[in-house]
Order: sequence, then structure tokens, then C-alpha cells
Amino acid sequence: MNKKLGVYICHCGGNISDYIDVEKVKAAVAGEDGVYLAKTTMFACSDATQKEMVEDIRSNNLDGIVVASCSPKLHLLTFRAVSERALLNKYNYVHANIREQGSWAHSDDKAGATEKAVSLVKAAIAKVRLARSLDPIIIPSKKAVAIIGAGVAGMRAAIELADMGCPVTLVEREYFVGGRVAQWDVMFTTNQTGKELVTRLYNEVIARDNITLLTGAEVVANSGSIGDFTLKIKVTPRYMKEKCDQNNLLKAIEACPVVVPDDFNFNITSRKAIYHNFPGEFPQYPVIDIKNCTRCGECEKICSSVDFSQQEQTVEVHVGSVVMATGFDPYTPAEGEFGYKLSDFVVTLPQFKRLTDINKDNLVYNGREIRNIAYIYCVGSRQSEGDNKYCSRYCCTSAIHASLEARNKFRNVNNFHFTRGIRTYGKQELLYAESLRKGDVYLQAYEENPPLVEVKDGQITVTINDIMTGGREISVIPDLLVLVTGMVPRADNSIASKFKLPKGRDSFFNEIHMKLRPVETVIDGVTISGACQGPKNITESVNSALSAAAKSYSFVNKGELALEPIIAGIDKDLCTWCGECEKACPFDAIKKEKQGEKEIAVINNSVCKGCGMCLPVCPVNAINLIAFSDREIESMIDALVSV
Amino acid sequence: MASINTGFSKELTKFGAFDFNACYNCGTCTAVCSLSTGEDSFPREMIRYSVLGLEDDIKASLKPWLCYYCGECTTHCPQEADPGELMMSLRRWLTSVYDWTGLSGLLYRSLTASIIAMTLTALAVIAYAVVTNFDLEKIMHTGHIFEMVVIGTVFTVILLPNLLRMWNFIILKPGIKVPFKNYVTGLRDLVVHMFTQKRTLGCDDSQVRWFEHLILVFGYLGLLFTTVFLNWFSSESTFVIVLGYVVSIIIFTVTVIFVSERIRKRREMSKKSQPSDWMFVVWLFMMGLSAFAVRLFIDLGILQNNIWLYLAHMIILVQWALVIVPFGKWTHFLYRSFAMYFDAIKKN
Ligand SMILES: Cc1cc2nc3c(=O)[nH]c(=O)nc-3n(C[C@H](O)[C@H](O)[C@H](O)COP(=O)(O)OP(=O)(O)OC[C@H]3O[C@@H](n4cnc5c(N)ncnc54)[C@H](O)[C@@H]3O)c2cc1C
Ligand code: SF4
Ligand code: SF4
Repeated sequence: MNKKLGVYICHCGGNISDYIDVEKVKAAVAGEDGVYLAKTTMFACSDATQKEMVEDIRSNNLDGIVVASCSPKLHLLTFRAVSERALLNKYNYVHANIREQGSWAHSDDKAGATEKAVSLVKAAIAKVRLARSLDPIIIPSKKAVAIIGAGVAGMRAAIELADMGCPVTLVEREYFVGGRVAQWDVMFTTNQTGKELVTRLYNEVIARDNITLLTGAEVVANSGSIGDFTLKIKVTPRYMKEKCDQNNLLKAIEACPVVVPDDFNFNITSRKAIYHNFPGEFPQYPVIDIKNCTRCGECEKICSSVDFSQQEQTVEVHVGSVVMATGFDPYTPAEGEFGYKLSDFVVTLPQFKRLTDINKDNLVYNGREIRNIAYIYCVGSRQSEGDNKYCSRYCCTSAIHASLEARNKFRNVNNFHFTRGIRTYGKQELLYAESLRKGDVYLQAYEENPPLVEVKDGQITVTINDIMTGGREISVIPDLLVLVTGMVPRADNSIASKFKLPKGRDSFFNEIHMKLRPVETVIDGVTISGACQGPKNITESVNSALSAAAKSYSFVNKGELALEPIIAGIDKDLCTWCGECEKACPFDAIKKEKQGEKEIAVINNSVCKGCGMCLPVCPVNAINLIAFSDREIESMIDALVSV
Repeated sequence: MASINTGFSKELTKFGAFDFNACYNCGTCTAVCSLSTGEDSFPREMIRYSVLGLEDDIKASLKPWLCYYCGECTTHCPQEADPGELMMSLRRWLTSVYDWTGLSGLLYRSLTASIIAMTLTALAVIAYAVVTNFDLEKIMHTGHIFEMVVIGTVFTVILLPNLLRMWNFIILKPGIKVPFKNYVTGLRDLVVHMFTQKRTLGCDDSQVRWFEHLILVFGYLGLLFTTVFLNWFSSESTFVIVLGYVVSIIIFTVTVIFVSERIRKRREMSKKSQPSDWMFVVWLFMMGLSAFAVRLFIDLGILQNNIWLYLAHMIILVQWALVIVPFGKWTHFLYRSFAMYFDAIKKN
């Protein structure tokens, strides 16, 4: 049967028609086999034209359409929707890109561009002649979401999903929730403390029945795909009974002989193997850090809540989607980088924040009263040489906020900021203005001439060629030097390989498209949120968490998912299982399966993305891509070369 | 290698500046300033020096004197750092730095000190009057002698050494070599700037300000000349008498305009007034007015019965000559002119 086809050629308001003679294209294709109508239009995507297309398809009973306009990345979904409104199966619409691949690429050769457009449209017509109606692949989707990481992003996403009626498993590797924010005292720009924020979020989390919070928990294996992930989670116990007697506990902590650096305070203080982080951290009962515990039993003698009989457990959860919220690590400078480790009085910004929190009336560190504080900005960020080319975004504001905090809390503090240009965007600028008004001194250098730190006889000297003072050499001898360190991906990011999550240039988790699909990853069903995606402050982390929650919810809320049917299919008879296709597939969609006597390759329909990588490697040509079959592709090539 | 002195900011606020720390170095002020040039770029650089407390650089700089305070920079500063007032404060601070007696700084920093100085001088005049038993003729004679002596003394004991100090900060200490002939050729600039303030004409704002100032300078010098050298109060010559009236009228009318500007705060430069600014215009006004009244009373023959008027005039005069001229805002007139002189000899 000969199909009745409609062809629409777009001017794109001149973007196309300034270079391509669209009327000529129309005339050249109007006589093609099956073409029932051919039209040009000023804007194919305009409401009026869309309505006209629907009308054309319905009244003429068209069997297929071709739209020749911009890139399908922009409007594929638009014209698929047009087909559906006209009750035409959307896979009977084929797109020809004559803008990015035509007018824009060949603006210097109008005749050539027109000729190319004719070929592209003819090829599209050839393809639509062979197009088949397709139905989406429907798979069941488990209405449950796992969130990895219970920082602000993870907790906020959990609350949001729970409120939409979706059960959530919240998996936290540490024994306490809150992530980094639990470590900060007063924060920009709200001036609330990390404790307050984490307490609020934690109370909201435990108030919801449909959130299961696992602490000391880590995903050790992941299988399955969108709609049906199976996660194996290892849960390490606290070796403490819930509800313990505070008095005995403090004695038990005192009795513990093991002293280790306290990473909650970024190692500027130490703690015991049995410890807690009260009052700021939740759940509010202590832990025995079993990695460092020597099982000497001293604590057990004093405190009856100690329970060494608790066992490690592995739980399995089934979810339809996963939200990653694993956060970041602060950058650790190399030894000698701006004097780091060369003096006891060189600290990082996170350490400094803990320091201002711990000290009460006077700022004293290592026995020295701190008055003059120098800050070197962009340490581990905006590097001209090195991996971290990006700006960490939070640190200018945080350093200014922390320095103001120090100025307000302690007496006689002078702040000297050695910057690369301040980036306190948005409202955060107000903090910068306040800091200037209070008399903080800002100096600035270009990247190729960073400030120089010298440590001699315990004295630190920071020297800069200040570009604000015509490059004059200016030096400061501070009591304390704070390195304003940026954000880097978590040092232990093994979770990424368990989910095959791609990383971007900066090694943070990568979204599909920064603007169009900001929380989705190329692994269907896995969304990302918070600072694991790149440097973010709390507001930005929470915004992305809400967005990821909404997206993940859309994958699971109906209990089933409609997937694109354009995927690879294997001809069982031809396949002899050589394993080449399995190696070629970037999404792990192909597995070996025994069918009767024979071993063949089988494609997981919910994982296959129809990328076609497996097709050319098959030695017996047993694989076909639906909607891009050999016949379709060859007919297009014929059309292209026939002109 | 320079080091930072954050204390300087606080010091400078005592001279009137405030919030210049808010400056984020955008350079708008320098861009809009009609007197700033590529070679002499200000006021941003001066703000930067002040924030960092680079005192030696400020002392060696003539830029504060190159600014004539049109206030365009302050109007356009996005941070409301008030660069115009900062430049004004630097001039006050420099005045105190040039002054070897240290009194200038004391009077700028403390209003109480100024009030005490004014009171003491007034009491001295009254005491003298009491001693002479209110003998008008004697007092007037002393007044005339006083004027001549004080002009000479203030100049040689205070202003000349201060000018030498200024020269030291600007030329000698920074090690600038200036050929002797420049000192001579530069004199032309000194005279021109002293009498005309011609640089103000470069400002984009209204030229009226320049004209008012010019008239005032001539009025002031005229009064000085007629009273001191032509002995206006004792003169019989109609020419001298009329000249005296004219110049004193000029002084008090122009100062009335200045005072009202400061009250109305329309122009950027007159929005913020320090006690020293008020003192300068008010005393100038009172001097013009009282001198006018004294001569009028003489001509009407009623001064003898109104000796208080002459005493008032005398008090104002003494305060002017002993406080405002050597240690107050009057010196700006001198330093500004010499700044132009030093600038010229440095560059030639
Ligand atoms: C010094 C400093 C000061 C700051 N001050 C402010 C401020 O004042 N205001 C502001 O808005 N922002 C501030 N920030 C930024 C703020 O800390 C981040 O925006 C915020 O922590 C990001 O939250 P998150 O949940 O994405 O990540 P995180 O806070 O890092 O939380 C991630 C959580 O995931 C857990 N996790 C990691 N890996 C795994 C795994 N494999 N399995 C299970 N769990 C895992 C972690 O244990 C952690 O609990 C500051 C940052 C720094 C470094
Ligand atoms: S936020 Fe500021 S300190 Fe941090 S990397 Fe960016 S510019 Fe540097
Ligand atoms: S305009 Fe204001 S902020 Fe900008 S440089 Fe001048 S004083 Fe500083």
C-alpha cells in the first residue's frame, strides 16, 4: 500500500529561508512517491501551524509526515505531540534537520545548501515510507525511592517524596545525619546554625512513617534498572543500645584509651573510639567506632549500654528510582601549598569554622591569641594548572561570613583577605559590603601571580602584588592563616561505579543537560542532587534536591513506566553468542542467556537506549535497531545519493 | 615592601571621612572625575592608600590638592563610599601633618579644643581692653599694629616652616631631583593658582563656584590690603574708604551664599560640613560684616559710644589670625597653591 504523506518545510523566520530556497525544496519533493501534500511555513512550531498540521493529517487521512526544520533536539517532542493529537502514531513522523545541518552550516553557499536540504528531505520521506507504528514499552515501576546520603539535600528530598506518598529508604554512611551542614555553626545567609537546620530536617524525617532511615549504612551492590533497582545495603551497628545513661556514658568515654583525630572537627581536636557529637548530631545516641576500637572492654565495664554482640547486617531494598545526594569533600591542600602543614597556624576554612565555633570569648589556637587573620582565597579552585579549574562558589561568601563572625565574636580581630576577585553573587554581596564597611582589608592578585607564603621561625608572612594598588608589593604577618579551600568530589566515591554514574570534567557527577535536564543522569532512574553534582550552597543544594525528588517521583508514581520503543532487537536464530555486543554496549543492557540448547544475547528492554553501538560489531548481523532497520537506513542512503 | 596599617582608617574618620572602606575599587569615581588624568589618576588610588593606611604614600602625594571637590565621584559611587569627602578629609589630615606645632591636628580632631582656643583668644582681647580701661584709640592703634605683627609672625614662624615640611614630604623624602631653575619658573604657576584657582575651571560642574571663589579671594586680599596697609579705619582718603566698603560687602555677601549652600546641602561638596568648614565661612562673614560696621560707625561718628562693636571686630580678627589662618581651613588656600607649584616644578 502506498502511504499518503505530508511534508512541511519551515522558514524558521529567515534562519532557514535566508539561505535555503524553501519554495524550491518544496517543488523538488512535492512529486515524490507518496507525497500527498507539501507546504512551506514561517514557523512550523507556532501554534497556528501545529493546528494546521493536525487538521491536514485528520482531514486527508495522512499516514505519515515529515517536518524539515531545526534540530530534533529542539522540537522532536513538539511534532510527536502534533501527530498524537491528530491520532497518527508518533513514530510515523520523521524529522529532517535543515537548519543546523543546512542553512547555518552552509550560509556561504545558498545553492549548495538548498540542494542539500532537498536531499535531506527526500531521505526523510524515504524513511517515513517504511515507518511502522510503534507502542511504548511498558514496564512496572516500584513505587519506592532510595536516597543515598542524608545531608541537607538527601533529607530534603526524602521529606518531599514522603509527602507525595512515596516510601523512601534514606541511606547514610555515617552514624549521624546532616552531612557537612551539621559541622557548621552560624551560616550565611540566614545566620541560622547548622545544628538548627539539621535538627529541623531530622525531626521532619523521623516524623514520617514512610521514610526508613539507615545510618552506618552503605550500598554494596546494585542491580536492576529504572523501575526496578535492587540495592544491597550493609548496615554497621553502633554497638550501643538505644537510650543510654548520659552519666555513665561520659565516664565510659573518659575510660576509653583509644584517641583518634576527630574528623567532625576536621582533625583540629581528637576524640575517643566511643564518641558522640551531641548536641548537634542525630540520631542522638553514641557510637563505637569499631574500626579504631581495640575491644579492650573498658567502656563496657562502666556503661551497660555498650553492646558488642550487635552484628553487621545486609538488607535488600527494591526501588523504582534512586536519588544520589552524597555531597562533597572540602579540598585538602598539598603539603607546602600556601604554607599548609609548614606551620601550626595555617588552617583550612572548614577548620577555621570549627575553631570559631569551639572558642568562646577569645580566639585562641595552639596557645596563641589570634588577632590578625589572613585568608587566601581560591585554594584548590580556579586552578590554572591542576584539576580544579572550576570556582567552588560557596567559599568567597563563607570566608567573608566566617571572618565577620570572628570579628563580631572576638575582640581586636583584623581580617586581611587575599583574593582572586570576590564572587559573592546575588544577595551574598551584602555580606561583602558589610565586611568592607567594617574595615576588612581586601587585596587581589591575578592567577599567575598568587600570594606568597613564607614561614620562618614560626612567623608567617603573606606577600602579594596587589593589583588594586597598582601591583605594589604588600605584606601581612598574620597570627593565623586561613586557606579558603574549595569543594571537591567525595574521596570515596565508589558509589558512582556501582551505579555506572558518569562524571563530568570536574569529576563531580554529571547531569544530562545543565539546563534542560539538570538532575537526570544517563542512567535512567538515577537522579542527582546537592553538592555531589558540583559546588553548591544550601539553597542551591535544596533546590536541586526538590527537583530530583520531583523527577524521581515521576518515574515511580504510576506504578509503571512507558519507555521509548526504539531499541535494539536480537534475531535469536542468527545469534551465536560471541559476546562482542555485550562488550560494545555502554549501558550494560546485553546479557548472555541460555535458550534451549543455545546461548544467545538478550537485551534488557528497560536499559537499552537504542544507541546502536552493538549493531556494527555483530559478525552475523543478528541485531536490528527498531525504526532504524537496515532497510530504512539503506532507503535513506539511496534517496541521498540519487539526487 | 609596604605593610598595612588598619588604624589609619580610624584616624582619618576623625578628620571627617567615613565609610570609604566600603569602596570595592570599581574605579567609577576616577572615571567620572573631570580633573583626574592618566598621569594623575584619583580619587580611587587615594581611597586605596587610605584603606591600606599607606601614610608615607599619602604624604608624598599631591593628589588630594589636585581635587577641587565638585563631588561628581560621590554622586556616582555605587558603594556610597563618599570619595569626595575622603579627599577633603585627606586634605585636612595633610594640613595637620604639615603643621609642625601639631595644633592643626588637635583642632581638626577635637571640637572642644577649637572652642577652648576661640574662648581664650576672646578673653585675651577683653582682658587687654580692661587693662587699657577701654581706651578706644589705644585699642584701635594696638589692633592695627597687631595685624601687621601677626601677619609677619604667623607666616615666618608657622606657615613657612610648614611649607618647608610639605616640600620635604613631597620632593626631598621621595628623592625627587628638581633643577633649581624649575623653582624659579614655577613661581608663575604659584601666583596664578593662588589668585585664580584656575584649576577649578576644569571641573564639569557650574563655573559659578569658581567665580564666587575668585571674587572672595580678591575681596579677602583686598580687605587685608586696605585694613593693614592702607589703614582703612584711620584713613581720610575717599578712595580708600570706598574701597574698604566694597571689599567688605563682597566678603559678607559671598560668604552668605557659601553658608546658605552648606545649610541647604544641594551641592555634594557642601553636604557634609565639619566644624572647621563652618568656622571658616562664618568667621569670614563676621569679619567682613564687623569691619563694615566699624567703618560705618566711624563715619557716623558713633563708634566712641559703641566701643563693644570694635571689641567684637577685634575678637573676630584675633581669632581669625591666631586660630583659623595658621591652623584652620585658611591654610588649604596656601597649601593648594603650593601644591600646584610643587606639581609644576616636579613635572617640568
Ligand atoms: C567551610 C564551609 C562552609 C559552608 N558554609 C555554608 C553556609 O554558611 N551556608 C550555605 O548555604 N552553605 C554553606 N556551605 C555549603 C554546604 O555545606 C553545602 O551546600 C551542603 O553541605 C551540601 O549538602 P549535601 O547534602 O549535598 O552534601 P553533604 O552535606 O556533603 O552531605 C552528604 C551526605 O551524604 C553522605 N554520604 C556520602 N557518600 C555516601 C555513600 N556512599 N553512602 C551513603 N551516604 C553517603 C555523607 O556522609 C553526608 O552525610 C559551606 C561549605 C563549606 C565547605
Ligand atoms: S567562590 Fe571565591 S574563593 Fe571560592 S573558588 Fe570561587 S572565587 Fe575562589
Ligand atoms: S566609585 Fe566608589 S566604590 Fe568605586 S572606586 Fe570610587 S570610591 Fe570605590
